[in-house]
Amino acid sequence: MADSVAVKPREAVTGPARGGGHRSTKRSRREARAAYLFLAPWFAGLLVITIGPILASLYLSFTDYSLLEEAKWVGFDNYVKMFTEDPRYISSLKVTTIYVIVSVPLQLAFALALALVLDRGLRGLAIYRSIFYLPSLLGGSVAIAILWRKVFGADGLVNALLGAFGIQGPGWVGHPDYALGTLIILHVWTFGAPMIIFLAGLRQIPSSYYEAAAVDGAGPLRQFRSITLPLLTPIIFFNLVLEIIKSFQSFTQSFIVSNGTGGPADSTLFYTLYLYLNGFRDYDMGYAAAMAWVLLLIIAGLTGVNFLASKYWVFYGDTK
Amino acid sequence: MSSGKKMWSAALLATAVLAVTAACGSDSGGESADGKVKVRFSYWGSDARQKMTEEAIKKFEAKNPNIDIEGEFSDFGSYYETLATKVAGNDAPDVITIEIRGLREYAERGALADLAGKVNTADIDAKVLATGSLDGKQYAIPTGVNAFSLVVNPALVEKSGQKLPDDTKWTWQDYVDLASKITAGSDGKVFGTQQSFNPGYLEIFAAQRGEKFYNGNKLGITPDTLKAWWANMQTLIKTKGTPDAAKSVEIGAQSVDQSLLGTNTGAMGMWWSNQLGAINKASGQDVSLLRMPKAEGATTGGMFLQPAMLYTASSKTEHPAEAAKFIDFMINDPEAGAIILSDRGLPASSKVLAAVKDKLPETDIKTLDFIDEVRSELSDPPAAPPKGASAMEDILTRYSEEVLFGRMTTDDAAQKFLTEANASIAG
Repeated sequence: MADSVAVKPREAVTGPARGGGHRSTKRSRREARAAYLFLAPWFAGLLVITIGPILASLYLSFTDYSLLEEAKWVGFDNYVKMFTEDPRYISSLKVTTIYVIVSVPLQLAFALALALVLDRGLRGLAIYRSIFYLPSLLGGSVAIAILWRKVFGADGLVNALLGAFGIQGPGWVGHPDYALGTLIILHVWTFGAPMIIFLAGLRQIPSSYYEAAAVDGAGPLRQFRSITLPLLTPIIFFNLVLEIIKSFQSFTQSFIVSNGTGGPADSTLFYTLYLYLNGFRDYDMGYAAAMAWVLLLIIAGLTGVNFLASKYWVFYGDTK
Repeated sequence: MSSGKKMWSAALLATAVLAVTAACGSDSGGESADGKVKVRFSYWGSDARQKMTEEAIKKFEAKNPNIDIEGEFSDFGSYYETLATKVAGNDAPDVITIEIRGLREYAERGALADLAGKVNTADIDAKVLATGSLDGKQYAIPTGVNAFSLVVNPALVEKSGQKLPDDTKWTWQDYVDLASKITAGSDGKVFGTQQSFNPGYLEIFAAQRGEKFYNGNKLGITPDTLKAWWANMQTLIKTKGTPDAAKSVEIGAQSVDQSLLGTNTGAMGMWWSNQLGAINKASGQDVSLLRMPKAEGATTGGMFLQPAMLYTASSKTEHPAEAAKFIDFMINDPEAGAIILSDRGLPASSKVLAAVKDKLPETDIKTLDFIDEVRSELSDPPAAPPKGASAMEDILTRYSEEVLFGRMTTDDAAQKFLTEANASIAG
């Protein structure tokens, strides 16, 4: 879907200019031909594996398609149904939006805070970095989702801790008021990937800025506000765009923790989970395809807004 | 060789390799290289089932050296999506295992072949066999049967100072009372029972009130029945006969090993009878089956047999004869039965059942005795539910949750459930 949206730091885009000149046009033409030939398998793959299915799904989104029978053209019916006669669709949209709005800022704040601590040049930094990165590798996995049920279950770890203070906690994953909260915590816990990127960003800030600021009498808080934060805005922006896209597409956590239902009482019915249920359980692939396209539009729209807004708060060193 | 030529040949080689690997990937079956007829057989389940099935397949291949059976196995969670994708891609397996709730989806869309006369069904109970027949065509052959029943751990009941009920007479009120007394008698260490939102439970409950779950392409259940069904659940929570709503939902989403019975923290529960072995193993206790409680003054107990699984053949298979032969072997051959035992339900074929009875594990003998005991009271096995029934358990669970968490009144939930469920099976 939309994970092909790639935001690259500027340096990477404008590489060193190509040398060579006109001396060996024959040779360079031959090289170009070879290059295209080498690219051909990849391009064939792109056509067959990516672009083909994308176009097919666009077509299917205008059909009634059960997977088992031929698709029947129904025009915009699927799209109309989504917003007029499917309350579960609207509620899946709500659940996902809440999830994104709450978990992304929390996760980024957490990632930045830890990156700042790690950037102090602790001994054994590499080890800490790996440990904190681990949840990012595991976060979307089935094992962790199962572990989450153990931690936040009625007789889970959290309630055992609360019990030590005499508090009787509810079954967090089984309660419609709290279940989404546990998934948000799960998402925040996978802060490792943005943290690594923040760390790299922090390393890029010349220490001479801090030295100069210290000479001028700026305290750590002031330094953070006037140096670190502005110079880090491109990295924050990058992480923000990426995490919004990723969390809109979250699926596994809800699928495993709710046993594939989005329960209790639809409180964890993620957009993609509802899409999956429509397509593969209810054999309504046309509707599922239409949902996928709306999701693409939502994500593309949000990313676009993000880019527009970035003009006002993202500071690239080279733009004066 | 100039560097340009080298590059050319390298690129060509790369493309060629890709083309070859792609060709290997799209091997669509039919005949194997050694002239054997290849028949693909899809099923789901545990590793243990896979081993068992592979063993049975070997037996079949030894008897039919010209047929090569290729098992296509996946876990239950991803089974139907893989199957639907294969069927959509004109790559359907020749022999397909299916559940009764999904049968119509495939049969009515022309994906399955009529097996009448191709597989010997003489030893299968006619009423059970009829569940695999739609519009006069025998699309599916049941592998074995289950009954939705009450599972009890007698030791835990007695430990909390209660007696096992007389299950030929007990009512829903007795059941609710007993559950709360067990919880109270064990100082809350053991819950009386566990909530179940299984459509099988509602089917039995409704039958006792003279209502069918499915009446053609509509639900035959009245709002009053739903309200009474939920009222029992609410009472159970209020009287602590079951855990609170949140914990009930949590354990409901887990496998039977994690159930209250499985972890020895509950004395009763409702399951399909084939779960008895798993509960027995998980709890390490001697658990038994009981008749489901009855409504006051009910003339029928409402319990019924349902096929555990069904074997079907793809309508697009190139080898219908070989596919049917394999199904026949799996259903009727005592040697296959001796390997599979009760893994796909208690064998549907009475001959196979008689042949393997001595080899069955103790819990299966118990189940068998139980089913024999209640056989005369059983209702007819319900016909295959309408299309869209695969979603029923989720819809029922969702509205049950709304009720148990007090987010909907039973009146409201009953109306909304009926509307949504009817829409789901009409579409």
